[in-house]
Amino acid sequence: MINYILKRLLSIIPLLLGITLISFAVIHFAPGKPVELQESLNPKVSPEVRLRLQKLYGLDKPVYAQYIDWLARVAKLDFGRSFNDNRPVMEKIAERIPLTLTINIFSLIIMFGLAIPIGVKASLTPGGKFDSITTVILFMLFAAPSFWLALILMQLLCINLNLLPISGVVSLDFEYMGWWQKALDIGRHLFLPILVSSISGLAGISRYMRSSMIEALNQPYIYTARAKGLSEKKVVYKHAMRNAVIPIVTILGLSVPGLLGGSVIFESIFALPGIGRLFYEAVMTRDYPLIMAEVVIGAVLTMFGNLLADIAYATVDPRIRYKK
Amino acid sequence: MVDILRVENLSVGFYAGSELNIAVEDVTFGLKEGETLVLAGESGSGKTITALSIVKILPPAARIFSGSVLFYGQALLDEDALSLADIRGRQISYIFQEPSSYLNPVLSIGNQLAEAICSHGRIKAGDMRVEALGLLRMVNIADPERVFRSYPHQLSGGMNQRVFLAMALASKPKLLIADEPTTSLDVTTEAQILELLIRLKSEIGFSMIFITHNLAIARKVADRLCIMYRGRIVEEGGVDKIFNSPTHLHTRELIAAYERIGKI
Amino acid sequence: MKRNKVLISGLFIIGVLSTIALLAPFLSPYDPSLIDSSSLLAPPSLRHLLGTDSLGRDLLSRLIYGARISLSIGLIAMGIATFIGLIFGSIAGYYGGIADSLIMRFVDIVLCFPVFFLILAVVAIFEPSIINIMVIIGLTGWMGTARLVRGEILSLKEREFIQAAKAIGASGPRIILRHLIPNAAGPVLVNATLGVAAAILLESGLSFLGLGVQPPTPSWGSILIESKSTLGVAWWITLFPGLAILITILAFNMIAEGLKKEIG
Repeated sequence: MINYILKRLLSIIPLLLGITLISFAVIHFAPGKPVELQESLNPKVSPEVRLRLQKLYGLDKPVYAQYIDWLARVAKLDFGRSFNDNRPVMEKIAERIPLTLTINIFSLIIMFGLAIPIGVKASLTPGGKFDSITTVILFMLFAAPSFWLALILMQLLCINLNLLPISGVVSLDFEYMGWWQKALDIGRHLFLPILVSSISGLAGISRYMRSSMIEALNQPYIYTARAKGLSEKKVVYKHAMRNAVIPIVTILGLSVPGLLGGSVIFESIFALPGIGRLFYEAVMTRDYPLIMAEVVIGAVLTMFGNLLADIAYATVDPRIRYKK
Repeated sequence: MVDILRVENLSVGFYAGSELNIAVEDVTFGLKEGETLVLAGESGSGKTITALSIVKILPPAARIFSGSVLFYGQALLDEDALSLADIRGRQISYIFQEPSSYLNPVLSIGNQLAEAICSHGRIKAGDMRVEALGLLRMVNIADPERVFRSYPHQLSGGMNQRVFLAMALASKPKLLIADEPTTSLDVTTEAQILELLIRLKSEIGFSMIFITHNLAIARKVADRLCIMYRGRIVEEGGVDKIFNSPTHLHTRELIAAYERIGKI
Repeated sequence: MKRNKVLISGLFIIGVLSTIALLAPFLSPYDPSLIDSSSLLAPPSLRHLLGTDSLGRDLLSRLIYGARISLSIGLIAMGIATFIGLIFGSIAGYYGGIADSLIMRFVDIVLCFPVFFLILAVVAIFEPSIINIMVIIGLTGWMGTARLVRGEILSLKEREFIQAAKAIGASGPRIILRHLIPNAAGPVLVNATLGVAAAILLESGLSFLGLGVQPPTPSWGSILIESKSTLGVAWWITLFPGLAILITILAFNMIAEGLKKEIG
């Protein structure tokens, strides 16, 4: 098992190399080079900024040298300064991470918390009422664009029923609220974004859980368990589910790219200052340092997510954990 | 002597879509106390389904159409799963063909063994472990502590089958149903397991239904023999009588097949 | 195949949608950019069956023309992705060795980039236009197909008919095109169908963010941009475009499910 982990850790290196190479190539070889575009669009760029840009992209040196320079800086998390307000890119990203993280963690909790029981219950009576109804509902939710669901829910809950605030993280009078009220306020604001972003994953995970359980319940060892006279509960939850849940564990790690992509849309709709919205603003204003930074960071996070998924799988499945 | 198990007019079928396939047709046989009855026949003859029907652990698509199963006078087919739980694993135990597939891969041997032990009464953790190790020794496992901690994939087929046997005998059942227990094992291991089975049977004193397609094995372990063909019992009788004077065509074919390979 | 209700329904819906898209100029009640200043932001009525937007344009007409845009982007983007995926996947699967390792490494690396991030970044560099969107979505969506094709070819490679073809002296590319790909067609088709759905969702998301199809060109996603500001005032602008997307995606998913059943 240790061997397995070490091997996986080693395989990260070529991935990191590849990620940085591709990112760098995009910045560098894209027509209408980002730097030139910035310069031509904004002739008022001062000589200092121009020099800084030259330095940042090392445009005076050969390509591979530029790459190495850039790589060295990126390793120190120095992605340069934003075109918009000249603040260090990493700083802008770092201050927004907590919000996006919070929303996505709660999203995952709801996603798995709902999807697993639904999938298990559906698998126990395949083709039955519960299964058929949930399948249809989930199919619909899966087919609907998530941002559209967000809009509809916003219309219903925020405007028609006036239950929840429509955007932002806090209300205008946040500062005057007591401790508990503050928490409640944030909760009310984040409720809808968290809900909507969990819907997209819900359908997939519960279907997966369902088919995983059905397969587990058809395995020979279930006959053994029943022949032993174990209660149906034990057969399902101890024997079948322990097997069925193993591949689901990997989904946690694999959901990173989906969550990141989703956050771009949700944070824009709900006006939440997270890294998704930051990315969106960066794209709209062609703030290349910020764009590239988020792309690289996004890729690295995805990569670690995959790594985590593999390691989790190896840990949870005894057949891999204890090799012969 | 009276039959401890009496199966009468058992018919079981499968629904494949809307089609109905009859797997077991009008099967009747009895088992006396301490006896070994062999259900022999080629694959698909309905042996396994017959066996699984006894405690109603059939696949979901199967239906028992008719028949009765009397075990020590109790009508099993009328019971629901809850009351059968008392019989399953306690009075009637099973061992299956491929022990590695029939053991849960993500639970340790000790865990699965404990399930079998605990199912017939409350027992303290410390006592349970002692009992489990004892059972493992009973089936000739030399290193019971290691096996107790292991997972099925870490053990050989023969070792897993011994574990399975230990699990099945944990409650000192009255009837053991063995469904092709040695088919997936190599010849040496097969001989060992058979020997173990026969010895334990005489020590503990259970009755046995043994399912196989291999007439050589049948001859070794059987007191009486039922030859099954396409869901029906085509011949029945004492071992010697069947081998010396088989009446049904299929029986003769089976015997001939094994004589050809030189096994009988 | 006639009994495959899911497949038939899905194909029917897509058929209807495609017809609407193709015959848009004939079916659309108004020109999609025609401004009716007397009915600004009007709810559904007999004159404007689905209402109008804030510029007085008929929503139904815009949705009909939007079908053209969204469907064609989805189909072409997935066509590009499938094409690239087939090439990379078959080379990797058939030739193996270094080509396989390199290609699969490349796939692993590109898969690390969150699709949306990658697309947005590329859109930021190359300005958004319909052609660009098609190409970008296609270029970021071939990886799944490549892996699938590779897997299929790996399992087909060793089968007899391939050995036979080799024995006759057929060359690599010929074998790939004539024998391997047609046999892998089933799963690839399912994958492509789901991919079209995904592409349409991606395009609608991009257009909604203003980075896809640019207004005033009507794509279902770009029409929804307006719903942000008219939320609570004009429910029809929010409901109908989204419903159109929903039905389309549902239909493609049904086709994919139906195909899966056919392939078995």
